[in-house]
Amino acid sequence: MNRLYTSILLLAMYANVLALHAQEHVTIRGRIIDQGTSKPVIGATVSIKENERSGSSISGSEGGFTIRAHVNQTIVVTNVGYLPAELKVINEQEPVLIALVPDNRQLSEVVVTGALGLQRSARELGTSAQVVDNEHLNQGRVINPLLALASKVSSLRINASDATSGKTDPSVQVRLRGTRSFNRAQNDPIYVVDGVPIPDIGRLNPNDIESITVLKGANAAALYGSEGVNGAIMINTKAGSRGRGTIQFNNATTFSNVFLLPPAQTEFGQGQNGVYSATTAESWGPRFNGEMMPFGPPINGVQPEIRYAAPGSDNRLEFFDTGVTTQNDISFSGGDEQSTYYLSVQDVRIKGVIPGDQSARTGARFNGARNFGKLKTAYSVNYIYFDRNTTPDGPWLSVYTQPANLDYSEYRNWEDPNSPAHPLNWYNTVSSTKNPFFMADNTRNTAKQQTLNGRIELDYQFTDWFKAIYRLGYYNTNEDTRAMTGKLASPIGARNVNGSVEDGANTFRRLNNDLILNFNKQFGDFSTNLLLGQNVRMDETKAIGVGASNLLLEDLFNPGSRIGELSGSSRIEQYRSLGTYGELTGGYRNYLFLTLTGRYDQVSVLSKDNRGYFYPGISTSFVFTDAIPSLKDHRVVNYGKIYASFNRTGNVTLSPYSLNNPYSQSGGFPYGSLVGFLPSLTNPNPNIEPEFVTSYEAGFQLALFNNRLNIDAAYVYSDSDGQIFTALSSSATGYNNSIVNAGRLTNSIIELSLNGDVVRNNSLRWNLGFNFSYTDNQVKELYSGNEFRIFRQSYAIIGQQYPTLKVSDYARDPQGRIIVDENGNTSTLDDNTVLGTMVPPYLMGLNSTVTYKGFQLGLQFDARMGGWIYSEVVPRMYTAGTHPATVAYGRQPFIMPNTVIDNGDGTYSPNTSVESRGDKAFWQSQGNVQINTAAKGDYLKLRELNLSYTLPKSWLSNQRVISAASIGFIANNLFIIRHSSNTLGDAESLYNQTDGYLSFRQIPPSRTYGFNVNVTF
Amino acid sequence: MKHIFRVAVFSGLSILAASCDSFLDVNVNPNAPVNENLTLASKLPAALNSTATQEVLQLNQLGAFWGGYWGTTSEALASFNDIKYYDGIGIRGSRDGIQIWENTYNILLYYKLIKDQAETEQAGFYAGISKIMMGWHFMRLVDIYNNVPFDEALQGTNMPQPTYQSGQEVYQKSIDLITEGILDIKSASVAPASDDIFFAGNRTLWAKFGNTVKLRALLQQSEVSSQSGYISAEIQKIIQEGSGFLGIGENAYCNPGYLNTAGKMNPFYETYYRNAGGATVANHTNIRPTEYLIEKYQALNDPRLDQLYLTASGSYKGVRFGNPVAADEYNADNTSALKGPVENGNQPAGLLKSFNQSTVILSSFESLFLQAEAAERGWIDGAAATFYRQAVAESFAYIGLSGSEAETYTAQPAVALGEAGNRIARIIEQKWLAINSINSFQAWNDFRRLGLPDFPNSESAPSADARPLRLMYPETELQTNRDEVNRQGGDNITSDRVWWDID
Repeated sequence: MNRLYTSILLLAMYANVLALHAQEHVTIRGRIIDQGTSKPVIGATVSIKENERSGSSISGSEGGFTIRAHVNQTIVVTNVGYLPAELKVINEQEPVLIALVPDNRQLSEVVVTGALGLQRSARELGTSAQVVDNEHLNQGRVINPLLALASKVSSLRINASDATSGKTDPSVQVRLRGTRSFNRAQNDPIYVVDGVPIPDIGRLNPNDIESITVLKGANAAALYGSEGVNGAIMINTKAGSRGRGTIQFNNATTFSNVFLLPPAQTEFGQGQNGVYSATTAESWGPRFNGEMMPFGPPINGVQPEIRYAAPGSDNRLEFFDTGVTTQNDISFSGGDEQSTYYLSVQDVRIKGVIPGDQSARTGARFNGARNFGKLKTAYSVNYIYFDRNTTPDGPWLSVYTQPANLDYSEYRNWEDPNSPAHPLNWYNTVSSTKNPFFMADNTRNTAKQQTLNGRIELDYQFTDWFKAIYRLGYYNTNEDTRAMTGKLASPIGARNVNGSVEDGANTFRRLNNDLILNFNKQFGDFSTNLLLGQNVRMDETKAIGVGASNLLLEDLFNPGSRIGELSGSSRIEQYRSLGTYGELTGGYRNYLFLTLTGRYDQVSVLSKDNRGYFYPGISTSFVFTDAIPSLKDHRVVNYGKIYASFNRTGNVTLSPYSLNNPYSQSGGFPYGSLVGFLPSLTNPNPNIEPEFVTSYEAGFQLALFNNRLNIDAAYVYSDSDGQIFTALSSSATGYNNSIVNAGRLTNSIIELSLNGDVVRNNSLRWNLGFNFSYTDNQVKELYSGNEFRIFRQSYAIIGQQYPTLKVSDYARDPQGRIIVDENGNTSTLDDNTVLGTMVPPYLMGLNSTVTYKGFQLGLQFDARMGGWIYSEVVPRMYTAGTHPATVAYGRQPFIMPNTVIDNGDGTYSPNTSVESRGDKAFWQSQGNVQINTAAKGDYLKLRELNLSYTLPKSWLSNQRVISAASIGFIANNLFIIRHSSNTLGDAESLYNQTDGYLSFRQIPPSRTYGFNVNVTF
Repeated sequence: MKHIFRVAVFSGLSILAASCDSFLDVNVNPNAPVNENLTLASKLPAALNSTATQEVLQLNQLGAFWGGYWGTTSEALASFNDIKYYDGIGIRGSRDGIQIWENTYNILLYYKLIKDQAETEQAGFYAGISKIMMGWHFMRLVDIYNNVPFDEALQGTNMPQPTYQSGQEVYQKSIDLITEGILDIKSASVAPASDDIFFAGNRTLWAKFGNTVKLRALLQQSEVSSQSGYISAEIQKIIQEGSGFLGIGENAYCNPGYLNTAGKMNPFYETYYRNAGGATVANHTNIRPTEYLIEKYQALNDPRLDQLYLTASGSYKGVRFGNPVAADEYNADNTSALKGPVENGNQPAGLLKSFNQSTVILSSFESLFLQAEAAERGWIDGAAATFYRQAVAESFAYIGLSGSEAETYTAQPAVALGEAGNRIARIIEQKWLAINSINSFQAWNDFRRLGLPDFPNSESAPSADARPLRLMYPETELQTNRDEVNRQGGDNITSDRVWWDID
């Protein structure tokens, strides 16, 4: 989408200023350049504001101009695609340098990063593309650039496994225009950094990013090959600009606190059947009475005690820390006539909300470019070191299932052997409800990852109509991992903890090689552009793991000091592909365009007979405001374009070596010299063929009211058929799964983006951007049967959206009232009930930017509607007796409201007398009725807030060190409005690639706020 | 610079020009062998071991709870809920359920692939073993789910929705398969060696094992009166075959060479007692014998009790299966845990002997009890009382007691077969005491067949007289083969019965 650059006019003046008389004529000489690229702006109009008839001047081939004016008059520089610039004439001046700020609002001039990373005029595109610039990307100072995209682009859905939570290394799921593959891991878009596809951009420094162009749908990405079938996220990193070097320093420090915890009761504490127990972790004891009670087993003959009352409104919060994130970023950039450079270093430290969790990321990037006549060279190196130390999922699970009478602040110091907090003294012996601080400290996962990503690009202009581009990309990650659990020996089985360690080393290497020939020629009214390219890709993976599940000593974590045998594994994977592709664009008078694309891919993972496949595409666009004379220079409609495209994109989502059934030794084999091999239970298919996604798209773009309102709308239909996926099979076939070419999913999508200035004057500007999408996704065909379980309660069901939430429900009478039996117990239906999609079909984002003098207030709202969520946390709270529902009737027998008795003759009468027991067994059974722990996932949240103040230029005018400075307040997740049925948590939650799934392993989301300082030297 | 550029262009083109075929030929799995790389001897042990693991974990556990042996302590009130509540829907679930269907068909696939390879290689012994084990597993499936796919099963994507056949038909076809298997083994030229982790290539023992499995299958249908003709015909075939049944000292044991390493220990020992580091596992703290079981041993002055369980505060104390109410008397500390070598002066105890003890697939004492019942019913020759005494003696021997102790025990009027009013009931009672926690699945089978012994129902049962009679078809089957599931009629866990369970 077209984003607004800051409308600050940069004037770099090499002038001594002297006051002179008003009527004096002076001659102004100067150069006009593009603020971003520092390239000369040719053909800009320079005129006198006060006297339009005095004539104007046009900038020449180097951007130079000359104009005569009176002192105190104002010269105005305008050029299509830029914001107008003004300059007060003060005196006979030294040559002035006027840097024009690009105005991307002008749709007619938008340039996007198209396929292969080549800059294309948006008017040529027969498909939708949206641009997010650096400023909007970094509005919330989000560490991960993918998360920073959330709700900023229509049809782009971003979720994080722990995005809004306090864990320190969230993994991100990105979905563009719905889901196309049942193979859940195969729906990611392709990530392209400066023209080179790389597997992951989550650790990229967002400050290095100049802009992100989101090419939606398979059409735009056809030239990237199969991986582009899910759309492309094209990243342009910053380049230096010609002129004086600049140094930018940025610091952001933010604090996070957990919120949206599922509510807990604070009336009843530990025990069973209403009787207090010193050693029970469940909250089925008596009502709190404030008395001192024995707590856990005696320690050295002394019985510890606890006050039997809830210490605060929510004791669970005592377990969490305030998370702190610090980002420091410094960059240097500059250049001369022939070369540019950009160098940045960033350091990010995150201290998580779970005690002990932390991560750190340090990265450096060097981008450079140099021209040698017709040869342009560009190169970049990016190095990232990432270090993480976290605990897995146990501690929070322990906290929310334990009673409200625990005061967690007492249990931090678990190492004291005489404390009830010590794991050998802890009051209960259930392994899932150990002291959470002990659990967090005793089980650690660490990872140290190094990423090196380099690129070399050579661009040679043979003639004015032909150039060749060669691009080599190298991407390498090395990761050392260690998972360790400290040994704790106890004669009580459930207290025992096995010491274990698992060391891993994972490497991934990718070499990507593109050679592109670009022909470009104008024939009268007709323009042609032909791209021919060839791509070679080589991926190599190696993963080694060595471990011991039984360590001898409590504090030595090395597989060498183990009991039993060493465990280990090693896996090597190679993937190769060859692609040959072409794109031909024909244009007529720069308002009608037709583009044909075609690509032939060969991949190593299929059989020789099936591994080559061709796929075509066609698209067209028509700028009707340029074509229809009466619309030219129209007062309302400034720009209008309609476009349409069709694509059929081939894709192979198969992993290497999937054509044969691999045998492996399991079940303890080998036992010494005795080997024992078993086949995989996924039935392979040696004749797997590529799958194809057919997509259609049509849309329009409009710029209205002097380019103040931009509208972008599209309708998209995609149909993915013959999918390669691992389908559930009847186990009676022998195999639990089969790899098949089956299954069909369709998506119908409506997208709308609006952007405009509500107020635009000299001191105040209020820009609003809104995006909306509706996705109707349908499962049309499956392999065998009408449904299969994707993950727990999430299903693929023919005729339903994918994935769909299906849960157990009560047996009810025809009016929907719950049936109770003679004991007041409810029963569940044999077959589960479909509630609806777990992916919200309606996605909305609203961005508001108000600029007033030096102040700027940026807000990003995110709303997602129409989806269902399911919590696995809450059933456990029912069982543990910590959920508020379990105390709604004071733990006494009660008549369950709105229930009926089965009269046995097909009729039902309202229940007025049969009491339900209201005890643990009853409430546990209620928690197990899954419909009780499902909710509508609708929400509206203020995702990002950024209030900043830029110091006035005048404050900085007395010195030459600091050229600009700003300070700001930033916040994420400041507020959220949820559907009234949702007390479960944040509907944005993602677990195991399942939207709307609140796993018992996930910690609650957090709210973040902090400060930001930015200084430019 | 121009030069560098040209080099780059040429290197790009040359990769294209290089034979594309060889460039892309990198799809040979460097990590794992495929079917063709492996001999029968490298596959058979894993298949046999899968059978043993399923028998001693998945099936033994379900049978131990539903066969009257096990309950849990107060602290573990919330464990094994779906078993305690007869929660058929929970058990059929593909997430938290008990996946016997899936696991059994997977094991059947292992044997089927071995059988196919063996038939190609004309390795009759391997084909025979596979057939016997396939018969074993298909009948286990019928015992749990009644009608199941047989003819159309195990065909992969050729038969994605296999048709179900009646439980009775599958039983019959399984018995025929075992008969074929015995013949294959007897006529095979080459025998397996150490890769046969049941009988080390001993033809006679395989034949006896096959016959014993068939006898067990025939006894399982003893209450179906219309089967009597079929039963006697099949008994005749066994007699004609001539190898007989597993007798004294003849056990179907599995031992691949268990090691004191996680995942390589005897699975019963590792799951219910101690891990490789010697640390007690949670099951050992949570699972307890039922009061009914303890009382039975005590009522018969059974010396096996001492070998099997530990005392709590000086006496043996069991728990009540499915008891939903926590009470201190049923806490782990106040009830009898399984006795292991650590509590037995580092000597093997009754059930828990050592990390490398063999897994019992079918014991000599179970076989002798089967023969006792068959003799009592007049199906085979021999005195039921003799088989019975031998069976008890074999059980005593397994538990670590002497022959004379067995004799003293058997001589008691409450034990001796001769003095029993209902001799079948007494055989079943002693069999029940002998296979306790070893092959507990058979206890549940006997209970459904004969209602013996009369142990109390789960206190969490949906109603006082609702007993678990089968499992529901699994969720995976509903999702992939629903029409076939619907065609089989009801599969309610407490009201629909398998074919041989007639009341």
